[in-house]
Formats: sequence, C-alpha cells, structure tokens
Amino acid sequence: MQYLYVFGFGRKRIIDSGARVMTRISMITVLLCLVAALSQPALVADQSCENCLGGGLDAPIKIEVFSDFQCPACRSLYMDTMKQVLRDYSSSDKVCVIYHEFPLAIHAHSREAARYALAARKLGRQQWLSVLDSLYSDQPLWAQNGMVQVSVARALSPSDFQALLKLLQDPSINQTIDRDIALGQERQVKSTPTMFVTSLGREQKVEQVLPYPVLKSFFDKVVK
Amino acid sequence: MATVVRILHWACRLILAGVFVYSGYIKVQSPLEFASAIAGYKLVPDAYIFPLATYLPWLEIGLGALLLIGWKLRYVALGAAALLLCFTVILTVTYARGIDADCGCFGFGQKISPLTIARDMLILLPALLLIFESRLKRFADGWSRA
Repeated sequence: MQYLYVFGFGRKRIIDSGARVMTRISMITVLLCLVAALSQPALVADQSCENCLGGGLDAPIKIEVFSDFQCPACRSLYMDTMKQVLRDYSSSDKVCVIYHEFPLAIHAHSREAARYALAARKLGRQQWLSVLDSLYSDQPLWAQNGMVQVSVARALSPSDFQALLKLLQDPSINQTIDRDIALGQERQVKSTPTMFVTSLGREQKVEQVLPYPVLKSFFDKVVK
Repeated sequence: MATVVRILHWACRLILAGVFVYSGYIKVQSPLEFASAIAGYKLVPDAYIFPLATYLPWLEIGLGALLLIGWKLRYVALGAAALLLCFTVILTVTYARGIDADCGCFGFGQKISPLTIARDMLILLPALLLIFESRLKRFADGWSRA
C-alpha cells in the first residue's frame, strides 16, 4: 500500500478507485446474469402425449403436474385451478396439461388410485378425466375408508368399468407409475403438487398451489 | 475516521446493491413461483398477484443497479429502505397472523420465521447508513478535529 502514496495516491483515492472497479465488475455480472436469465432454454420434456389431460403438445404453454391422489393440496390444485384451466384454455389448445402420477409412500391408497386413473387413461381421455374428477372429488371419503373402486365405478359406465377392471391387470400400469416417480425424482420433485410450466422457451417450477386468477393472468400475458 | 466512513459507504452500497440484484434476479427467473409465494401471504387480491410478481423483481434490480451507479444515491437508498421496511412489516404481520407462508425473499422454499424478519431488518441497516451518510461524515469530522 505504501508505494501508492509515493506515487501520489491518497487513501481516499485508493478506496474510491477500488470500489469503482468493483462496481464495474458487479454491473457486468448483473448484465450477464440478466442475459442468462432471459435466455434460459427449456428442458426437453416428455414428447409423447399419452398423458396429456387437455390440449396438445403443440400448445404455446405446457403444464406438467406431478400429483398424488390422496394429497389434499393436489385435490385443491385440481378442483380449484386445473379444472378451470382445462375448461378455458386446454379446450382451445392454448395450454397443454400433462399429469404425472407421483404417489407418496405416506398415503396408503394413493398408488391404488393412480392405478385406476392410469387404467382409465387407456380407455380414453374422456374416461380418464371422469375418473380423475371423481377421485379428487371423493378424496375425503376414500382416503378414510379405502373404497377407491366405488368412486371410480361412479365415474364410468358399467361397460367402461368392466373394461377398466380388465386393464387393471396389465403390468404396464405399475411400470408407468414407477416411470413417473423416477421422472419426478430426476426433476427434483420433493413435494406434491409440483408443476413445471413451460412457455416461450422457459421452464418454471412451482411447488405450491397457484390460484386460478394468477395462472390466468400469466396465460393471458403469454397467449394474447 | 473519514476513511472509515468512505469504506463503510462503499461496503453499504455494494452489499445493498448485491442483495437487491440477487433477490430480483431469482424472482425474474420464476415469476410464477414468486406469484405463488405472494399468494401465500393472503394480502394481495388474486388479480394483482401476477402483475406484482412480474414487476416487483425489476424494481429490485433497478434499485440495485442505481445503487451501483450511484445516481441520486440518497434518494435511491431512501427508496430501498422504504421497500425493505415494507417487506419487514408484511413479513411480521403475516407471521403474527399465523400464516405458514413461503418467504419468497431470496429463493423459494423458506418459510417466514423470526429469522427471516431479523434478516430483513439487518439489510435495512446499510440503507439507513447511506441515507444518513452526511450526518455520519459531519460526526466523523467533529471526531477527527476533537
């Protein structure tokens, strides 16, 4: 430090010039961070649409939900938010809604419910939607008494229900659940519901229930 | 003593700017997650949550950048202090209401607690030092002369 005094630098000047250099470095860092934040590419997501609950993969916005049928917050997300998203945005192909099964070990009946839902998915999107609707509506009932089948039977016609019971024997259903769980773990899903919202080339992870008006404002901003 | 004030001035500026830019940057990356954090406070009507989640982070980044540049520093520090005070009051009120909300301050997943409130109050200190810097300088000059 001493030699700087010899060359005519004051203490004040040293502090100021040092701080100015740091300021410039900080500003460049800020700019680089902002550029990185705004140009962050989306992760490559599952390209098949067999688990699309509404909308198509070519929709400008994609929502992937990792959900557990017995989790109350997942029920709230589906009943209060996603149903309206499906009605208002997926029907016009503006939003693609993808549901992944993520049954948590702490819930005794959620894997069974997921199995029924996946069997219904094999019957068709409409049947899947009806079963999903019924399972989430009746969640407080079957979560207590374990009568998942009663709720599923109510959602389908007798012939569909019989077909579903046959499909339930298919071992690929358990494999699909395990694959969804593995996918969730790979994408750092730690709680349910967890949503991945992809739009304009960017992906956002949301780990809480978003009220419908909040999502609506976001959709309206993206898809004017 | 003047040197100490000068070092303090730059330290406050850089720390405060860093805090604001970092906090804004995290939120800009995930406005939906920030929106869900705001929704958790149960203070803002649903229709205003997303616009707030979109523009508030830019305000933070703007304040951080202005603190770095040093333009109208005292007024910018005043704005930063007002914003921090606002955050502290909101955090305290939400905690007092017993709402288990995500703080949403520096990243997501951290619940509001006395620790997060204390941290916000601590960040307020550099802003206050920048606002009252001239008084501090006068005090330092007086101290040096004495």
